[in-house]
Amino acid sequence: MSVKVDLRKCYYETANNGKKESRKAFMLSISFEMENELVVVFGPSGSGKTTLFKCISGITEPDDGNITVDGKVYYNKDKKINLPIQKRNLGYVFQKYTLFPHMNVRKNIECGLKGWEKEDREERIREMLSLLRIEELGTRYPSQLSGGQNQRVALARALAPKPEILLLDEPFSALDMEIRTELAEKIKNFQNKIGIPLLFITHNLEEAFLLADKILVLHGGKAQQFGTPEEILFHPKNRNVAKLVGVSNIFDDAYVKEYDEKSKGTVLKSGDMRIKIKSMNFKAGEKVSWGIHPENITLLVHDSDSEDQNENIYSAHVNSIINKGPKKRITLKLVRHNKTLTAELPAQFVDSLKLHAGDLCLVKLEMSKVVVFYSF
Amino acid sequence: MLDQIWFPISITLWIAAVSSFLVLCSGVVIAYIFARRDFRGKELAELFVTLPLILPPTVIGYLLVILVGKNGFFGQLIYNVLGTGILFTWQAAVIAAYTVSLPLMVRTAQAAIEAVDKELEYAAYILGRTEIETALLITLPLAKRGILAGLVLSFARAVGEFGATLMLAGNIPGKTNTMSISIYSAFQAGNNELANILVLVLILISLLSIALTGKIVSRGKFEV
Repeated sequence: MSVKVDLRKCYYETANNGKKESRKAFMLSISFEMENELVVVFGPSGSGKTTLFKCISGITEPDDGNITVDGKVYYNKDKKINLPIQKRNLGYVFQKYTLFPHMNVRKNIECGLKGWEKEDREERIREMLSLLRIEELGTRYPSQLSGGQNQRVALARALAPKPEILLLDEPFSALDMEIRTELAEKIKNFQNKIGIPLLFITHNLEEAFLLADKILVLHGGKAQQFGTPEEILFHPKNRNVAKLVGVSNIFDDAYVKEYDEKSKGTVLKSGDMRIKIKSMNFKAGEKVSWGIHPENITLLVHDSDSEDQNENIYSAHVNSIINKGPKKRITLKLVRHNKTLTAELPAQFVDSLKLHAGDLCLVKLEMSKVVVFYSF
Repeated sequence: MLDQIWFPISITLWIAAVSSFLVLCSGVVIAYIFARRDFRGKELAELFVTLPLILPPTVIGYLLVILVGKNGFFGQLIYNVLGTGILFTWQAAVIAAYTVSLPLMVRTAQAAIEAVDKELEYAAYILGRTEIETALLITLPLAKRGILAGLVLSFARAVGEFGATLMLAGNIPGKTNTMSISIYSAFQAGNNELANILVLVLILISLLSIALTGKIVSRGKFEV
């Protein structure tokens, strides 16, 4: 089973800043292919995630392109095919609870079993209730369910008609963190069991990495990168992706200096700073940007052996330390280079170093953790 | 005397019941189309349906006489089918009542249908349900309260209808003398006793429908 999506669609985002409401036009432009796997669609709000789902499900018609699921053409502009929603055979779980409020749980699930024999319907409802461990909720009404139970029922209802693809639009965004993680793990588990392609929208980074076989990163309607979580995290293709995965220390003033045989790395020159990276995909002289995730910065106590640019070790002044609960955010000003870095480290670790604002310390940028991409 | 009281009450309730039934069937369909479809001239159509709400009853009566009278378009059609005219019959009174109460139904039901979350309908489509199935299974049951309120309002309006009915169905004793028309003629004839009784009954019916509407509207969202 495979899914091929290649579409373009103009869509509008209504931004509400204070009293003024503005409408902005975006062009959704996405192209990807997937197998029986879990693809997380990741991007900030307004990046076109929901519009993509609306196009796949047939709620909205794209302007151009084609959508094929398991050999069945859902949409093809050139052949003038636009399959009605009812014929698409997909499961869709909405962000808000969209259970039918006037029907109990069983009736909600039964709604999708049109044309099934009575015994088959009963059997399928039982099967779904037990798959999601909600056997005892069959006769309850949606208003009598908790948020987590609501979404389990929504999931059961979506899966009951044996869809060819399952679309989940931020299904857990209204739930608290604990249930959220539990349900996400559940989804991950039974993805293998149900064996269909699964698309999952989220703007929560942790959720994306917890679930994804692959991540499709969207920004401003454009697909930025499509790859495994590791690729996205360590080899972001551009600034948008880097920022979305939390890389906040980004510098655009670098170029590739040379390939270093000894350490099997590439040397960048960023202003007057020498920095070594692991990636070897870049050629000497190319202009690039580099960055590092605040949690990937290492701090060393400042002692006799100081700066070592071969090891990406630089001395820095601690500008400020901000408490963020289990983590502390430290602003570091490099002593010999005009650059400021932000690190986010476990509070316990920072405390053990006995660091205070104004102190001198050593910063280490692990070669393999430095991300590099073309600036544009 | 008893017949003088009883006939206007029974014919009025009958006319209002038939009219409300027709209003329910057609009004809900019109309301659904207005709420969920976009087409050219929709605003004009909405205006046309709402018009009887603001036009003077005599104007409505006059226009209806032109339409369903012997020489009117519908009038001729009816004459060809039935072999007889429709003016000055209880059916004519139903037409008058229907015309003036339809907007009340359409307005209330349309608002109720528009308030149903469209995403619920999409959810039903995705589950393979056609638009008609979705309307019957999801949209209309969820708009039930608005539709019922519209029905009660329409019934009350039909019971009280006077102007257009008088022009279309006249005031034929034992045939088309509805309550409001009987009150008028009893008053004209100085029969205050009859007028008082009928006025009291009309007030009672109106109060009852207000109470009923209030009850429908204020009832919990869905009974579970």
